[in-house]
Amino acid sequence: MNKGKEKIPPIVRLHYKKGDLIVKEGDYGISIYKIIDGRVGVFTQAGDQDISLATLGQGEIIGEMVFLYGDTEPRSASVRALEASEIEVWHPARLSREYDQIPGTLKYIIDQTLGHLLRINKVFGLLRAREKAERDSAPPSEPLTSQRRFYRKEIDMLCRYRPAGTSSEKSLIGRIKDLSRGGLALSVENSNVEKCSHIPGDKFSINTELPTDKKLDLTAEIVAIRQDQSDKNVLLGMNITHLTEHDMKNLGFFLMP
Amino acid sequence: MSFDPILYSHVAKEEDYPDKTVIIEEGSTGYWIFVVLEGKVRVTQKTPQGAVTIDTLKEGDVFGEMAFFERGRGMRTASVIADGPVRLGLLDTDQLDKDYEALSPQLKELITTLIIRLKETTRQASTLSAEKSLRR
Repeated sequence: MNKGKEKIPPIVRLHYKKGDLIVKEGDYGISIYKIIDGRVGVFTQAGDQDISLATLGQGEIIGEMVFLYGDTEPRSASVRALEASEIEVWHPARLSREYDQIPGTLKYIIDQTLGHLLRINKVFGLLRAREKAERDSAPPSEPLTSQRRFYRKEIDMLCRYRPAGTSSEKSLIGRIKDLSRGGLALSVENSNVEKCSHIPGDKFSINTELPTDKKLDLTAEIVAIRQDQSDKNVLLGMNITHLTEHDMKNLGFFLMP
Repeated sequence: MSFDPILYSHVAKEEDYPDKTVIIEEGSTGYWIFVVLEGKVRVTQKTPQGAVTIDTLKEGDVFGEMAFFERGRGMRTASVIADGPVRLGLLDTDQLDKDYEALSPQLKELITTLIIRLKETTRQASTLSAEKSLRR
């Protein structure tokens, strides 16, 4: 950085009206913004649609990537005032100069933190890319059983279940209709569905006793829902998301042909 | 040694730990900043599917700094476990405290933002990684 006498812009405060664009996606900007008052929306454009990424408020900072990463990429998202907002604009040159003068050890530690963030960002990016690739290549199939490749056993077993993370007083009664290493089909009365949310993505803690007299506790997530022929019950297709090693062993013994 | 001599001059004491020692426990409070002097440590985070390793740190790497930058307001966000025998340096935070407090409010806020982003991304990454390993 040039440490000559070039003038560093002072910190200024700007006022935006509702709807004003503060940062435009694709622009090359280097300023850092701090929200002093008001609310702003961060969004990105996909086709002619705006996809909202975040809503930020008082005290939050936008555009720190330029400074933290020495980012020379264009702005990755747009920012618009959602209401009348007051924004402080910092020029990174002022901060860069100060940053360069931070005493050695503190600077080393901050650089380490930055390094951790860059590494974890990369890991997260890779994980997401891999997941997207897997999702795109998975063949479409029957949603109630598609993710359950292991041996399935048809049964009719009473169980108690409750939304994961709630106390056992909230328990409801259901019947497990089939069971495999990866998931289960849970039949519940329509009246249960009215008591708490039963939609795909919901996780339930389920307790039951196997015909082998072994207790089985697990957590499973709803992946599909089907109305039972009887019309009194709903059949939930669930993937097991948590099972202790001990329970997994008991379940394995039970499932053996 | 491959790491910064200035950093080494801030090491208040050195400690040796055997393999698998839990040096920092997620959810606990603590203010120490550590530097790996010899050996390796694993950084792990709890998820509903069990603990996942999110990073491995080696000689010269610093950890525990997030709690320092949160100025004692936060809890340890991950566990750090010895991966083989390790020698760690505990940094003298008195001088670091003074140096940090001398920074401009803007720079402090940027560092705070950095910590928030690191926390968020780490949590997202460990959740995703745990869910993936479960499906495999």
